Amino acid sequence: MSTVLTQQSTAMPPCQATCPINQDVRGYLAAIATGDFRRSLELVRETNPLPTICATICAHPCESECRRGQADKPLSIRALKRVAVENGGPLAPPSRVSSRGQKVAIIGSGPAGLTAAHDLARMGHRVTVFEKDAAPGGAIMSYIPLYRLPRELVARDIDNIRALGVDIQTGKALGQDITLDELRQQGYEAVLLSLGLPVSRGLNIPGVDGEGVLLTLSFLKAVNYEGYRLPPDKTVIVIGGGNVAIDTARSALRAGAKAVKMVCLEAPDEMPAYPWEIEEAAEEGIEMNCSWGPKQIVVQDGRVTVLECMAVKSVFDEQGRFNPSFHDDRCTLIEGDIVILAIGQASDVAWLPQQGVALNERGQLAYDPATMATGKEGVFACGEVVQGPGSAVRAMSHGRQAALAVDAYLRHETVAFEEPFPLSQLDERVKSEVKGVDRQAVPLLEVSRRVTCFDHVDLGYTPETGVKEARRCLNCGNGAQLIADKCVACLTCVRVCPYGVPVVREAGEVDIRADQCQACGICVGECPANAIAFRMAGVEDIPQRLEAALAGGKKEVVFYCSYNTFYLRGADTLATVGIPCLGKIDVKHLLQAVALGAERVFLVGCADADCPYHRTLDWAHRRIDTARTVVQQAGLSGVTLHMLHLEPQQFAALPQHLSQAVQEAAHSEEQND
Amino acid sequence: MAESQPLKSGSNLEKVLAAGHLAVTAEVGPPKGTSPEGIREKGAKLKDYTDALNITDNQTAIVRLCSLAGCAVLKQVGADPLMQIVCRDRNRLAIQADVLGAVALGIKNFLCLSGDHQKFGNHPNAKGVYDLDSTQLIATLRQMRDDKKFICGDDVSGDTPMFIGAAANPYADPFEFRVIRLAKKVKAGADFIQTQAVYDVDKFARYMELVCDMGLDKQTHILAGIIPVRASGMARYMQTSVPGVAVPQSLIDRMKAAEDKGGEDRKQRGEHGREEGINISLELIEQVRQIPGVHGIHIMAVNWEDIVPVLVEKAGLYPRPHVE
Amino acid sequence: MIKAKHKSIASIGDMLAPYRRVLVLGCNTCTAVCLAGGEKEVSLLASTLRLRSTINGQKKEFLEFVVQRQCEPEFLEEAKGLIQGADAVLSLACGVGMNCMAENFPDKPLLPGNDTTFLGLSTELGLFTERCVACGDCLIHLTGGLCPLARCAKRLLNGPCGGSEEGRCEISKDVPCIWQMIYDRMKALGQLDRLSEIVPTREWSMNDAQGPRSFVREDLRVQVAGGG
Repeated sequence: MSTVLTQQSTAMPPCQATCPINQDVRGYLAAIATGDFRRSLELVRETNPLPTICATICAHPCESECRRGQADKPLSIRALKRVAVENGGPLAPPSRVSSRGQKVAIIGSGPAGLTAAHDLARMGHRVTVFEKDAAPGGAIMSYIPLYRLPRELVARDIDNIRALGVDIQTGKALGQDITLDELRQQGYEAVLLSLGLPVSRGLNIPGVDGEGVLLTLSFLKAVNYEGYRLPPDKTVIVIGGGNVAIDTARSALRAGAKAVKMVCLEAPDEMPAYPWEIEEAAEEGIEMNCSWGPKQIVVQDGRVTVLECMAVKSVFDEQGRFNPSFHDDRCTLIEGDIVILAIGQASDVAWLPQQGVALNERGQLAYDPATMATGKEGVFACGEVVQGPGSAVRAMSHGRQAALAVDAYLRHETVAFEEPFPLSQLDERVKSEVKGVDRQAVPLLEVSRRVTCFDHVDLGYTPETGVKEARRCLNCGNGAQLIADKCVACLTCVRVCPYGVPVVREAGEVDIRADQCQACGICVGECPANAIAFRMAGVEDIPQRLEAALAGGKKEVVFYCSYNTFYLRGADTLATVGIPCLGKIDVKHLLQAVALGAERVFLVGCADADCPYHRTLDWAHRRIDTARTVVQQAGLSGVTLHMLHLEPQQFAALPQHLSQAVQEAAHSEEQND
Repeated sequence: MAESQPLKSGSNLEKVLAAGHLAVTAEVGPPKGTSPEGIREKGAKLKDYTDALNITDNQTAIVRLCSLAGCAVLKQVGADPLMQIVCRDRNRLAIQADVLGAVALGIKNFLCLSGDHQKFGNHPNAKGVYDLDSTQLIATLRQMRDDKKFICGDDVSGDTPMFIGAAANPYADPFEFRVIRLAKKVKAGADFIQTQAVYDVDKFARYMELVCDMGLDKQTHILAGIIPVRASGMARYMQTSVPGVAVPQSLIDRMKAAEDKGGEDRKQRGEHGREEGINISLELIEQVRQIPGVHGIHIMAVNWEDIVPVLVEKAGLYPRPHVE
Repeated sequence: MIKAKHKSIASIGDMLAPYRRVLVLGCNTCTAVCLAGGEKEVSLLASTLRLRSTINGQKKEFLEFVVQRQCEPEFLEEAKGLIQGADAVLSLACGVGMNCMAENFPDKPLLPGNDTTFLGLSTELGLFTERCVACGDCLIHLTGGLCPLARCAKRLLNGPCGGSEEGRCEISKDVPCIWQMIYDRMKALGQLDRLSEIVPTREWSMNDAQGPRSFVREDLRVQVAGGG
């Protein structure tokens, strides 16, 4: 059996292609949807060394690319990752996949450094991470507010990395406690600098040196590490419009501020902070002063009293560069007692030349993005220190690249980084056929409670809402696959597909467009030449699972829609075969069950409204009808086939519903007699 | 039609039409059995009120005594028989042979039809022959008569007097094509036409206008079909179940209203209905004979042959002309 | 393409009575396309027959195979071993393939699993309709490309009978009147005048009037040495 794939079929779903660490989102969502949380976590962990952290704070660029978002609302992917993390464990810690055994030092234990450490350790290298602070985690530990990321969660991920044999030494700063030369002497063959951006940018305006003017990073660190609380009755002004500014404002509120006012250059729709962050801050009563630029901080008696601002004309110049201009004549006064500057972060690398690592002409760490190498032999760099500010997951991706680069260096090889390419967009016809399914809202701690403490705001999905949400996934690129040399070009697939996915190409060849397929599976059961294979897990292996289920001479078998596995109860003694939507059941499966000795065959599907597909249940009905005809023609009077539609909750009492169906069928039989 | 032309068959019907009289023909259904008595009886009863009598050919695809034999029986009682031939049941060999036999027995009028589909009859699994279509059948008879040739080109021996007819349905679709089709039949050799039952006189008049515009009324004789309606039920049955017959709802309503005058009594209802049916038929006859190009009427009183003399008499068409 | 459909299981069962080991032989061309002879149908039928035979305690054996086309001896070669090893071949080809099968395996009983219905197409999923009677003397240039021999219940060549009503045939409201379609098409093509011409009596000799049909392409014939 040979297969011909279009190029598209090897493309990644957009969620995965967009994810900086290319998480198999489709895979772990499918696992959640079918109730296999353990599998979902395994899949998350395959490419993610910090699953708990990402499940909690990831900026989830995947969601903006989600193709359901083109026709409906996107999947709530980050929240689903949390479902996997919270319900999939405990898993054994990750293990090494090879044992190369060379010594590598990593400076800095932020997301980039930890990812590189994890990856290099899995390759078998002996990795030591040097962290200047008291705890590993870098920016995650220092700057992410506790209400967004409870610290015990960070520990879980870091423990797993330690379990790989990574030695994390805290309180060790390069240049102070250790030098590159010492590391070389200790046998480290490569050093990776993942130093992050530990310096808050200042502002050159009058009054900035006054008492009561703080820099955000030291403020956040003090709050997070030391439990710093503001003096009572203080109004805090936060300058800045990015995510860190929001974190600062919300932290200030929880740290005891009477009121918090944000001031930023950008108009509301220009703010660099994520919209949901802005929204949650506003819910908490934080005042937004948009399109205002700080002119001076008025200090009286050595204390901050007022921030004077000028109206912003524009933030960006005609070339689109950051270059704010102001209406000098339009000013406003914003009263407050404390001003916190949250207008950006910078690296701290001025000392690096002393270690023999060169800076570029702009005073930044010089490195070659193609090899991740710095100017010093055996020394590499990754993460925000060379990339500039960005999300944790982006830094993780860079750490992963750095691990590959370091490993290649150690093997005297070169490395090439491949850009994944995403599946193309849904075409209009397909889009118009996608059945809308409500996105499950992620519950949050109520506002009145959350402003008083640092409790985790995001409450996360229950497993049940997670299952509901996960089954919204369109399974992009994971559907039908034409086996070209078996195809007889009958066009049955073209005619049965509710989405118009199969098309006729030049020279009369049929193309079941992998990038458009919605994985409903109707075509598979109808193809007269058995020329359609299926990519999605749980379809091609139905015959084997059926055989295993009926082993031991069981006389009943239940084919059920595995999107209800989560709810399934009391079926332990039954022979069951889960199928991800019954549109994928084939008459041959039903007959196989009969041939294996089953006397009662049940097909248990969702209630129509719950099915995310079109017409799959209709086709399942036709197939059971065909099987009934065959059974009747074969003279198998003792064999009955039943089809049931159940609400998810009814799966909890599956055995009762099955016997009810048998009774009803017997009753209607009697009436017909 | 020019009077001076020699007659093609010398049948009574041809002579009546050639003389410019309004012709009257009627239909006699043969039995589903061997007795000739019914035909004989009907023939005797109707012959003085009509100019020729059709014997149907396995009408509605139900097997009956064959039209050739039926015509021979009519001949015995002195009627001018008109032999219907459908393409459904016989191939060109059988049809040409039957025509030879018919002429030999003195049968001179023929009506060439496609035939109702076998699906409707009592042998729905029969193989439909349709070796010839109705137009080709007309042409075949014309060729046998005028050229003395069979289809294959072999000579036909003996005299071949034949008056060749065809059917037309002004109500079937596509309406615009109906006149073209009539023209084809005329061109193929149709000397006369018996139409499907006329109820919607306006539509028939429009059809006849097109017929006259094409000059077809000068090349053939058109006899308007009349099916007397006995009861509203029969009208409704024809409306829904008989192919090619267009029965307007107004006619059914009128029959129903008349029957209602009979109250609950079945017999009374029946009599009122029949009376109204006769009235309607008389009105139709009166109306169609006024339409230019109509040269006669053809009464198809299925299982109600007794009514033919009544209609003919009441319509003032009795006695029938005797043309030498 | 050629269209066919399965015979009833009961009638197939009767045919199979004398045989124990039966090859269900599919055809991956016309009958696969009309969902009567491809791999799926072969396995479905074989499964049905297996179940049936188990019930009846017959212990019959059903083998499955699908060839590219049963109407080419070369394609049958692939199945030769299976065919020879079976007591009979239940063919899911069309009649053409079945005949070819029988001719090439003179010792092997050939049983028809399909009824070959007509030359036609699938006008919609699950609906197959006739389009051509292979009359051997195509005339559809006269009828707007639509064949009245295949599609008129009375094979009329000179226009619709009196039963044509609102575009439907008198035999069923589900059957379109092909003459209405021809008329509409000729009208659209501006060729209505052509329908005034009388189409003369057909020469059926190209069809079934002269026994089994064949034709010769002399340019392709290879003279067999010593042959007549």
